[in-house]
Amino acid sequence: MSHPAEQATDPTSAKITVRGLKKSFGSNEVLKGLDVDVAEGEVVCVIGPSGSGKSTFLRCLNKLEDISAGSVVVDGYDLTDPHVDLNAVRQHIGMVFQHFNLFPHMSVLQNIMLAPVELKKQTKDQARSSAMTLLRRVGLEEKADARPASLSGGQKQRVAIARSLAMNPDIMLFDEATSALDPEMVGEVLQVIKDLAREGMTMVVVTHEMGFAREVSDRVLFMADGLLCEQGTPEQIFGNPQQPRLQDFLAKVL
Amino acid sequence: MRRLFPVLVRRARALPWLVAVLAVLALFGGAATASAEPAAQSPVAGKTYVIGTDTTFAPFEFQDGSGNQTGIDMDLIRAIAQKQGFTVEIKSLGFDAALQALQSNQVSGVIAGMSITDERRNIFDFSDPYFDSGVQMAVAKGNTDVTGYEQLRGKTVAVKRGSEGETFADSIKGKYGFTVKPLDQSATMYADVKAGNSVAVFDDYPVLAYGISQNNGLKTVTDKEQGSSYGFAVNKGQNPELLAAFNTGLAELKSSGEYQQILDKYLKDPTAATQSGFFGLLTDSFPALMKGLGLTLLATLLSLLVALVLGIVFGFFKVSENVVLRGIATTYVSIFRGTPLLVQAFFFYFGLPQMTGVPMDVLTAGVLTLSLNAGAYMTEIVRGGIQSVDPGQLEASRSLGLSYVTSMRRVVVPQAVKIMTPSFINQFVITLKDTSLLAVIGFAELTYQGQQIYASNFRTGETLLIVAALYFIVITLLTQLSNVLDRKFNK
Repeated sequence: MSHPAEQATDPTSAKITVRGLKKSFGSNEVLKGLDVDVAEGEVVCVIGPSGSGKSTFLRCLNKLEDISAGSVVVDGYDLTDPHVDLNAVRQHIGMVFQHFNLFPHMSVLQNIMLAPVELKKQTKDQARSSAMTLLRRVGLEEKADARPASLSGGQKQRVAIARSLAMNPDIMLFDEATSALDPEMVGEVLQVIKDLAREGMTMVVVTHEMGFAREVSDRVLFMADGLLCEQGTPEQIFGNPQQPRLQDFLAKVL
Repeated sequence: MRRLFPVLVRRARALPWLVAVLAVLALFGGAATASAEPAAQSPVAGKTYVIGTDTTFAPFEFQDGSGNQTGIDMDLIRAIAQKQGFTVEIKSLGFDAALQALQSNQVSGVIAGMSITDERRNIFDFSDPYFDSGVQMAVAKGNTDVTGYEQLRGKTVAVKRGSEGETFADSIKGKYGFTVKPLDQSATMYADVKAGNSVAVFDDYPVLAYGISQNNGLKTVTDKEQGSSYGFAVNKGQNPELLAAFNTGLAELKSSGEYQQILDKYLKDPTAATQSGFFGLLTDSFPALMKGLGLTLLATLLSLLVALVLGIVFGFFKVSENVVLRGIATTYVSIFRGTPLLVQAFFFYFGLPQMTGVPMDVLTAGVLTLSLNAGAYMTEIVRGGIQSVDPGQLEASRSLGLSYVTSMRRVVVPQAVKIMTPSFINQFVITLKDTSLLAVIGFAELTYQGQQIYASNFRTGETLLIVAALYFIVITLLTQLSNVLDRKFNK
């Protein structure tokens, strides 16, 4: 694992650079100006109360949400620049959703093979064999031909992770990946995410799992009311919180 | 000879080297032909004219048992055509529709037991009168209360819309205090009287006489009024040669006695109808109804195919982020959902040809109407289907780097199709039933065939039951088939 404290302050080595990010839905301003850097190989967890803008922030990082103001630069590409090929940038950013969003009309294998085959990155045979490798990695090799509807929540999320890895991304975004799961299935999904972290993947993880955040994070961001309220190492955030908002939040969730 | 020259000059201009040869041929050959064969000189000879007529004005026009258009008008125009060496193609459209078709030049002439009136003279050119008619009143057979106009006070009287009967009824309704109810067809008027909705009917006396001889359940109670004369009509200033040929032919028929033979055939001693049983009616009407059903299915199929394309195109416009495309789709849907199908059918068949001068055949107009109408509903089905797919599906696909088009094609549309299928089947059934409305523009589908049958046998109830049963059977079968396909392909 890298030591990001110094790197994060140097924008040239940052994988993701966010400056003055604002996002409004109609008259409702959800993000009120964020500045965040994520270094290569860094694992950043985003915590905070519901409605603080965590998910919206994450969704701005691959421009699933239009950006109202400010800039988001990923791998040197400014997502707010209309000339940037978003589809090409997104191929390097995997995303995992709270509700899995697997394609119900396709088998598990077809879900994973869709992007590599459609985008002509791999032939069908290559895509199949790398999809099988990914399924082995998340422990679901035997479910290759199953339909998503026949899987448990934990299995669905592991397939979704395998799917997001199919384009071989160098950044992964997790949007409350375990929030919709039954408690006994949270562990298996977190384990897959931990494995990815250990392999050096750059990750931004929005989560309510404080134990997980403390264990895998290089850095924790605490958001409140659309602003970055406090950030630091897990030890600083969980062991020595400074802001009353954070202290209050931790008192409730821990 | 005089008529031959302009043609030759025109040809000569196009092909100058033919001038000499043709001039010689015209002078000798042309003159020789003219003296040998007088009919060849007639400007109508060898031409084909489309003649509009009513569907149901027995004994002037009606369908015989084998589905052929027959009656006094039909016999007359065919006999005249034969004498004058031209061919007629009969289009039985209904009275109003035939007149509208004539005005929009969809037909060259109309023969439909039409009275010659000053009003009509303003828009049509009429032939010499070929029949002297007159209005008569009839009531239900068992009605002993109404014996004259005096008993009509406070009652309702059925008349044929736009007919001499209506004009007459309107002229005395104030004096006798009754209400006039205009209907479209003689058969409908008689059914209305038998059902008790109207107490009496005012119709042309030959029509009433023929209907009564066919057991239509009515009886006449007054003498015939001094009436007008029937004439053959062409659009004002159009086809003068056809009008002239009609007059010449009519005079020939009258002097040869054939005219009187035709009238006697229908008026003096019409073959009395033998009432066959219900199954007799079924077997007699089956061929015509099957022909109608075939056209119903053809129109449905063609319309749905076009509607599907329209629905997909405009449906995607509706979910697009482009304001202009959304506006176009919304306007299209508003117009076709916001106006009655019947008005659209009239517009495409009568209105548009009149405005553009380009005639449109009834199948094209019918399919155009139904597809634009169904297309509007399909647009909403497609929009609804796409929007009911979880937005997370599109997001997941886009987050993988797939383009909007690829994401729609591979992820959203396959799921939307599954959601839309029941609505598609529903629209299919609606469109199939809507084809029956095309009967009003003379499209010979199932309902139209049914109308034709009860127009000549006056068995309205039974015929409509058969027609309804046919719709029901076909729709049930096709719905079952659709559901089976749906289950098979949309697991």
